[in-house]
Formats: sequence, structure tokens, C-alpha cells
Amino acid sequence: MQDREQEQPAQITDGVDTPTGQIWPEEITRTPIPDLGWTQYYDIVKELADCYAGVGDFPSALHYYDKAATLGPDEPGPYVGMGVVALQQDRLDEAETAFRVACRLDPNCSKGYCGRAMVAEQQNDWPQAFEFYLKSLELNSDDLTALLGLFQMSCRIGSFEKVIYYLEVYLDMHPGDTSVMFCLATLWLREGRLEPARRRLKELLLLEPNHADAAHLLEEVENKLVHPVCQET
Amino acid sequence: MISRIADYSSPLVTVLISTYNRPLYLPQALKSILAQTYRHLQIILVRDGGEPVRSVIEPYLADPRLTFIDRRENWGLPRSFNQALEQARGKYICYLGDDDLFYPHHVRTLVEALEGQNEYEAAYTDLYKVHCRIEPDGKRTALAKNIEISRDYDRTSLLQFSHILHVSLMHTRKILERTGPYNENVHVLIDYDLIRRMAFFTDFKHIPTVTGEFYAAIEQDQDKCSRISNRKRKDRTSYILNLLGIYSSRPPKPWTKLQDTSLTLLAEMVDENLLIALEQIWSHTFFPYRIYLPLPEAQLRQLKTIVPNILGVPVRPGAGAQERLDAVLRCCDGEYIAIVPSTWRIRYNEVAWIEKSLYALMHCADPKQAFDLIGSCPERWAAVFRRQQLMAARRLHKDKPLLESIQAAGISLRSPHQQEWPFQFENMTTSGQMLEKQGMWAEAARLFEMAQQRYGNDLWMMTRRANDLYHAGRFMEAAEFAAQVNSIRPSPATLLIEARARRNSRGDREAIGLLKRAEMILEGSELTYAG
Repeated sequence: MQDREQEQPAQITDGVDTPTGQIWPEEITRTPIPDLGWTQYYDIVKELADCYAGVGDFPSALHYYDKAATLGPDEPGPYVGMGVVALQQDRLDEAETAFRVACRLDPNCSKGYCGRAMVAEQQNDWPQAFEFYLKSLELNSDDLTALLGLFQMSCRIGSFEKVIYYLEVYLDMHPGDTSVMFCLATLWLREGRLEPARRRLKELLLLEPNHADAAHLLEEVENKLVHPVCQET
Repeated sequence: MISRIADYSSPLVTVLISTYNRPLYLPQALKSILAQTYRHLQIILVRDGGEPVRSVIEPYLADPRLTFIDRRENWGLPRSFNQALEQARGKYICYLGDDDLFYPHHVRTLVEALEGQNEYEAAYTDLYKVHCRIEPDGKRTALAKNIEISRDYDRTSLLQFSHILHVSLMHTRKILERTGPYNENVHVLIDYDLIRRMAFFTDFKHIPTVTGEFYAAIEQDQDKCSRISNRKRKDRTSYILNLLGIYSSRPPKPWTKLQDTSLTLLAEMVDENLLIALEQIWSHTFFPYRIYLPLPEAQLRQLKTIVPNILGVPVRPGAGAQERLDAVLRCCDGEYIAIVPSTWRIRYNEVAWIEKSLYALMHCADPKQAFDLIGSCPERWAAVFRRQQLMAARRLHKDKPLLESIQAAGISLRSPHQQEWPFQFENMTTSGQMLEKQGMWAEAARLFEMAQQRYGNDLWMMTRRANDLYHAGRFMEAAEFAAQVNSIRPSPATLLIEARARRNSRGDREAIGLLKRAEMILEGSELTYAG
């Protein structure tokens, strides 16, 4: 009898515990289900800060990022927000500090590294910016800001291999993104890979027939395909 | 309406509050009662031992509506409430935890729901569950205000688990004459025990308005939380035995809302098989029942078990199954009869072994229909019948074997279909949650829409739908559903959903107002928004 009773607890209620609520698995406390978990106040305040930042009310944004940081002391999000606001106000040292804190709180914070890359870019430290953009994309290959930042840094330092890889990864996830398609075609043209450049530009123009830059680039690519000698000269 | 209710000619409401070692939070709880817009109150505060509280409640003792029972001994909550109930004079009774709080419209909302109608003797509202961080000085910082339970009343569900919170409940004092008072042998879930007994006599009216808050420390602060029920739940065996005690509870008849099942357990003798069957029935059955055990007297005398609600029916030695069933039929009083062999085994994870067939029978319009239990087979046959139906069959065909008499009486037997089982709504919402976990947001939204169409629970289902549509990237629809909920019952969660959806469809400016309102609710500065 005793043994059987000890075996039985789970079967009797079948996971539904209570009269005063239900027992939820731990992971659900951080899921995006409304009315569960305890991060709601943080979520609201952080969202509010992002909204204020979005409409350019930076003092309010900073007030709410501060509050969010108090409510979620382990969360990197508010520091990323503070960094972005500081960056927009050209306070590069403050931005750098905020992004550093975000990366310390969460070593996988791709936005934190992206922020540090932007600071480095503003300081004309392109190799450093390149490295941080790359780190950001390693953590989240879906980050368009980091991807375009890496593209620009690649153009500045003339190293395209890595950015081509990430542009391709990104396009696999977002096949209709014409701005990324254009970047990729440009890089292929610079690398002398004319066929894939032409194919990508044609795809782009199917999606966006009025893309003038793409049309000009396609003309250039086709011209080079017809007159390969010119390419050498 | 408000002026009439504020009038002292309106019914008296007794509010009970029992306190034990929470002097820090008690004044806030008490203040929230005294601040009710409904003024005709009798407030009974019981100090159930623990730290003295007179000094912290001194400012409120002058209020003539407050009775303070200052007791040094700790009797426990059920006995404390019973002591207070002896002094209660109100037409209606409601409760407040000593660390919880009512919003000013709590009592008025419930009185308005109960007055001027005869259908319900109890009503309940919704409450915020406030997840809080306990600061070093013991003060609480709210981190979330969630409406975790907003379930329309469902009698079958309530028999299995409660969707009514104690603090959200108001009931007539009169109903206690039939349910009896709080059970002082129950150590945890004392409210569920009483509410479940009330369900035998009344349905409950659900008012989906938030009228108060109850508190829960977040996980890392659990040790600092003094909630007694949390501590008691940690002893799992004791908790389960307590729950089984609640399930076995049978208030005196006549019951007006529930029907009884006479469970006939057919055994050859008192042996291990029978004892296992009895324990399994006890641990798995939540519909009200009594076990009838037709056995020779000598066998009945040998039966030693802690399983409650067993009635021995003496039969002659060597009596066959028909004869033993007939003996039960002569003395049982349940509206339904179940026939179960002692070799019957209930699957480990089965939660409604008999209820699936009973529920189908209760909701079946055909008077000639009866149901096999799920898993019944010729070697181990078990079924449920209406008592009158089975009695007529046995009376008319008493010389025939049991199954033949059933057939001869035109009773049709089959297993219930899945759609005839109880907990259809729960199954749908559980499936919806599983889809959400898998990221199938649009499918989950469709399921919640279907659940709402079939089973109501409108605000709850619309909230889930809005959230799922947001995650599915259908921002305009998400905003629209969340806005509909917010126009009736805004909560931080639904305001957040609408704000996020609006940000994605129309930009940041529109979201700011919604988020500011959510912030106000979380900070407690919008207590009367739903009033």
C-alpha cells in the first residue's frame, strides 16, 4: 500500500495540480505566453523604452531603460538600448560602455557585439568593427544591421570572403530581401563571378523591376560577359 | 445602483480574514476591505496565533464594522474560519488572505451578481496573481500581474480541480447549512474542499472582472515566502491523501446539482485483487460515488481498508453475479450504477477511468443507452447504467443472466466516443498550448477560436488568440483582438500584446499609451479601472 501510494502522485492529477493554479514546467516561465511567468513588468518597461527611442524621445527612453535594468538585472536588452541611444547622440564612450555591459551579462548577445562594431566604425577602427560585426553574425546570422555593417567594412578593407558567406546564409533565410541581393551581386561582380551576379540581379529585378541601381549593375555585368577582354583591361 | 448598494438597507456582507505571522502585509489587506465602495460590511479579523498584530491594526479598530478575535493559539485556517463563521451575520460571505488585497469594487461586483436572482448561491471574479520579488526588508516588488485563471464555471472540471480562487469567491451564508463548515481535518486546499462541496448544491456565477490581487514570490524568493499552503504542498504523499479526502467528501443529500453513482464492485472474496481495486478506485475517481460490496458477511468482516465510502451488502455464500447485483439494486440510492469486477485495473496515467462513460451517460438523451467503461472486454466487463434503467431490466427479466436481461430490456451498450468524454475544453486548450510550444502560432490561434465558439471563456480565449496571431506575424488581427479584450478588461498582458502588435503595424507612438497604462496597473495606480 505504501509503495503504491508513493508511485501514484503523478497519475492522480495527471500534471494538473491544483485548486489554485496549474503547475507549469519551468521553461514556460520565460515563454511568450500571456499571463504566465514573471518578466511582464520588465517586458513592458523595456518595450516602452524602445518605443520612446523609436520616436526620438531619448530622455524618456533612457529613463525606462534604466528602470528595465533594475527590474531585469541580468538582462542585456536595456544596455543595448542605452548604447543605441548614446550612439545616436554621438556619445561614443557611453555607448561603448553600455554595449560592453550587455556583452558581459550575456556573452551571446549579438546586438551587443553589433553595437560595439558600430562604435568602432564611428571611430574609424574598421578592422575592429569588422571583427565585432563578424562575431555578431556568428551569434545571429539573421541580424540585418550586422550584415550590412559587415558588408560596408568588407568594402573598406577589401576582404569579401566572409561577408559573401553571411549574405548567402541570410538570403537562404530571407530569399526576397532585395537590398541583400544587391549587395551580394555587387560583391560577386567585384570578385569576377559574373554568372552568379547576373542570375541574382535578374531575380532581384523580377521582384523589383524599378530598381535602377540593379538595372545598371546588370547592364555592366552583361557587358562584361559579352566583352571579356574589357574585363581584363 | 451604486447608491442603492451603499445604502445600509442593502444586504450585509461578512468579510473574513485570518492572520498568522504576517503583520507587515495585514494593514494593506485590512485597508482594502475598509475602502470598499460597498459599505454595509461586517469584517471579522482573526489572529490565529503567531505574532501579535494589535499595534499594526490599531488605526482601524475604531471602525464599528470590524470585529477582532485576538487569539494566541494557532488553530489553523479551517478552524479559524469556522470560529469566525459562528459570528457571521451577513447574507453573503467572502474572504481575504492576510497578504492579499481587494480592489474597491470587489464586494459591490459580487453582491450585484448575487442579488435579485435565485439561480446562483455563489459567484467569483478574477484576480491578478502578483509575482513579486521579496526585498530584504520584506516588502514586495511586483514583477508581473497575471490573470492565470479566468475560467467560466464548469461543474465537471471543478470536481477534478478548482478554477475558483478563495479570495475571489462570495457565497450565501445559507449554503453552509447544507455543505457544513470548513473541514478541520483538511490541511491544505481547504477552500477547494468547501467550494467542491458547494458544487453539490449550486452553480457558480463567473464575473470576468479583476477585483483583487493575491501574491506569489518568484522562485528564487520562495524560501522567504511565508505562504503556508506552499510549504504543506511539498509533502507530496500527505498532499495527495489530503486531496483524496476532498474527492471522497460527500455532503448530506439531497444534492441539487450533482448526481450520485453507486459503484458495484463484484468480487468473489476479500483478497489482494479486491484491495488493489478499492485503492485504485479511491485514488482515481473524482465524480461523487459510493462503493457497494456485495459479499457474504463472513467475508465483509475480513475487510480491512482505509478506503472511505464503502458499503458492505451481505449476500448468501455462493451467490452469483446477478444475485449480488440485485442485492445492491435493492439498497443503493445513486442515480447511476456502475458494475466493475474486482479484477479491473486502472491505467497508471488514466484520469477519468469511470468519468468518461459516466459523463457520456449523463449527457445522453437516449434513455435506452448505457456505456461500457473504456477497456471493458468480455473477460473483464464493466459498464455504467441509469439506476432506474437497470432496475427495470432486472425486474422484468429477473430470471435471465445479467447481460441477457439488459438486452431483453432494449438497453443498448457501447463505449463512449471521444467527443462524449469530459474535459473537451481542457483538451483543446492543452493542444493549443502544445502548438504554441512548437511555434505553430496560426494553428494555435485557430484552435482557441474554435474553443471559444464551443465553450465560451471569451476573454481568456481572445487573449490567447491575440497573442498567437501576434507571434504568427498577423499584427493587425492581433491588435484588433487584444483591443477588444482591453475595451472590456485591460490587463498588463493584453495591453502588452496590443502594444507590440500596434508597433509592428502602425509604429511606436500608438504603443506608448497602451504600455503606460500597463505600467500603471503594475504599479497599482489604476486599481479601479474596471469599476
